[in-house]
Amino acid sequence: MEVNINKEDSVTTVRLIGRLDTPASQEVAQSFEPLMSDATGTIVLDCSEMSYISSSGLRIFLSLRKAAASQGGKVIVKSISNDIRQVFMMTGFLNLFEIQ
Amino acid sequence: MEKSDNIKALARKFAGTGLLLIVVAAVTLEATSLIQYFSSQRMLKEEASLRAESELRSTRNQIMDIVDQAESAVHNSIWITRWCLDYPDSLAVVARRIVEENPSVMGSTIALVPGYNKNLPLFAPYVCRTADGGTELKTLATEEYNYPAQEWFTEPLNYGFGYWSEPYIDEGGGEVLMTTYSVPVTDDQGRIAAVLTADISLDWLTDLVGSLRVYPDAFSVLISREGKIMVSPVAELNMHQSIRDYSKGAKDTSNFNLLADEMLSGKTGNVALRQSRRERMFVFYAPVERTGWSMAIAIPDSEIYGEIRRMSMLVTILMLIGLGMLILILRSAARNQRKVVSLKEKKDRMENELLIGHNIQMSMIPKTFPPFPERKDIDMSASIVPAKEVGGDLYDFYIRDEKLFFCIGDVSGKGVPASLVMAVTRSLFRSVSAHEKSPQRIVTLMNESMTDMNENEMFVTFFCGVLDMASGHLRYCNAGHNPPLIYTDKIQFLPTKPNLPLGIMPGMSFVEQETDLRYDDALYLYTDGLTEAENLSHEQFGEDRMMDVLRMRRNAQDNLEAMQKAVADFVGDADPSDDLTMLFIHYLNNMQPDETERHLILHNDIQQIPQLAEFIETIADETNLDQGLAMSLNLALEEAVTNVILYAYPEGSDGLVDIEAIVSKEKLKFVISDSGKEFDPTAAPEADVTLGVEDRPIGGLGIYLVRKIMDSVSYERTDGKNVLSMIKKL
Repeated sequence: MEVNINKEDSVTTVRLIGRLDTPASQEVAQSFEPLMSDATGTIVLDCSEMSYISSSGLRIFLSLRKAAASQGGKVIVKSISNDIRQVFMMTGFLNLFEIQ
Repeated sequence: MEKSDNIKALARKFAGTGLLLIVVAAVTLEATSLIQYFSSQRMLKEEASLRAESELRSTRNQIMDIVDQAESAVHNSIWITRWCLDYPDSLAVVARRIVEENPSVMGSTIALVPGYNKNLPLFAPYVCRTADGGTELKTLATEEYNYPAQEWFTEPLNYGFGYWSEPYIDEGGGEVLMTTYSVPVTDDQGRIAAVLTADISLDWLTDLVGSLRVYPDAFSVLISREGKIMVSPVAELNMHQSIRDYSKGAKDTSNFNLLADEMLSGKTGNVALRQSRRERMFVFYAPVERTGWSMAIAIPDSEIYGEIRRMSMLVTILMLIGLGMLILILRSAARNQRKVVSLKEKKDRMENELLIGHNIQMSMIPKTFPPFPERKDIDMSASIVPAKEVGGDLYDFYIRDEKLFFCIGDVSGKGVPASLVMAVTRSLFRSVSAHEKSPQRIVTLMNESMTDMNENEMFVTFFCGVLDMASGHLRYCNAGHNPPLIYTDKIQFLPTKPNLPLGIMPGMSFVEQETDLRYDDALYLYTDGLTEAENLSHEQFGEDRMMDVLRMRRNAQDNLEAMQKAVADFVGDADPSDDLTMLFIHYLNNMQPDETERHLILHNDIQQIPQLAEFIETIADETNLDQGLAMSLNLALEEAVTNVILYAYPEGSDGLVDIEAIVSKEKLKFVISDSGKEFDPTAAPEADVTLGVEDRPIGGLGIYLVRKIMDSVSYERTDGKNVLSMIKKL
């Protein structure tokens, strides 16, 4: 799993590349820690190259969303595949995130 | 219903018999009474007739005595009169002798035929009795009297023999009723010379005839030759009216005329005169010879039949009382009948309530077969035939979390009490098994509840099984019930520990047992009503017959029907002695030979998770799964396995996770097992995916996703292992 974080002004774009499975989630959680501590701006999670997500990945998404909500920030999930959209749908995540 | 109709018909028949009985009794009594009445009437009439005739005879005899005396007195004097014809003066002496020697003769005359004695054209000395007992001589040969024209003189000359005159009132001699007997007297040459007479008072006749009292209200009548009423109870009529005149004004004139004719022609007999609509009078009559009189005795029929009428009235009253009593008896019998009928109604109502009870009972148990038409891995059939309307047998089954929970039970006793315990048992089974997967726990908890409330010392033999549909693993626990049969390659009893029935002892520990069912294996559960069903010779159906029937086939429904028929044929007309309950399970989970198995064994290291992706990819390639489904399956498998890796084994210890994939055309089944601590992921509460960001817990999504993705998920703890089976239909 590769995570590229690119911050421009108040918009932070996070590119997730590969499979966000349970072991990957543990790494990604560490990468997300700076974002969680400063979630005032807009965070765009670019999922165009993410092929898989497990519940641990969803947990990271949810934790980030909660942090942003408490700090006045915003999380946008961008370009999820249809298969992952199915997972979002099953778990009610479609209603929790702004999906682009 | 047939019974009730019979009783009604019987009641109708009985009521009909009762009515018939009354009618027959009434007719018999009436007929007896009538026969008795008429025969008595005939006898009474005969008796009356005899009495009347005898009276008539005796009265006539008395009259005839006097008549004879009078006639004799006259006849005895004929010869001396003949002598004296030539000495007319001596004729008065002859007459006096007749009067003096015969007390009944009031007067006597010897009247010469005019011309017989040339010297005496008219000569008739008359001697009559005086009031002081002496005699007085008179002559009848006066111009005014002109004796040759008198009846007493002419008639005997006409007839040539003795003649009794019509009675008459002797005006000269004190208004007495008289009659005169006169005979012609011939001289030595045979010439009629004189008429000799004797006047006879008939006062004694009035007394004699008037004193005839055959019956208190009977009376007698004497009439003369000419029909003159001589003696009757009505004084005004006597000697003043003739019977013919009287008959004109009498009732029933035609019969009265008949009577008059008969009497006037001197006949003997009787005639009935109708006096009024209800009253008749029987008149018996007989002639008084020589005088030409006729005597009659009239008897009102009320006199004759009064007694019998009173008797028949009494008999009628007694008969009516008897009939009344008979009706009362029959009515009370009918009331009893009605009581029987109302008892019958009560029984009907109870039967109706029992029928409702039966329906309620039947609605408690699943009875739509096949019970799971959408499932191909199980076939079942079951039936309960209560010996009475309601019974104490039960069976139940349902599928929860891909496990078939089933049970069969037999409450001690029969009828309503047993049915109530049956209902309680079934409810307990449902409520306890909703939270428990272990038959041993289910049975134990049920036993605790039932011993708590069992005040009536009723117990239940009970067998409970939980069949994991995916694996065919069967766990079961018996509580004193007959061991079921299992049909694998052969039919045999399922090894079953007896244990005690439910409801006997609290704190009982029940032993749980287990076995594995494979495709096409069958389980047959039953109550002892099956094996102990008796025919008329009290033979029991028995286990051998049961096994013979079941050996023929495995199909649940066919087996049930075959068994029901076999039992019915065996029992025949014998009454069912016990409830008969069967529950047949045919396990058809098609882990067929065409399925493929794949194995993956992971260590409890989260870093090994990516191997699952490869595992799924291989399977997906083999079975041409689409990518989306493959990803979903990967997700479900990862969530399940992650659970085991993270939580099953103590941290730092080494453990294995066994992943088995069984792939067939219809479905894909994963079985994940580990030897870690017991943990049932399916027991976790379902995540609420509708909550908002703030309320949404971070965890709990894993098992939720597993359930969402897979068609069925079931957990088993077997042989110290956690076994999670997940099936995805393809």
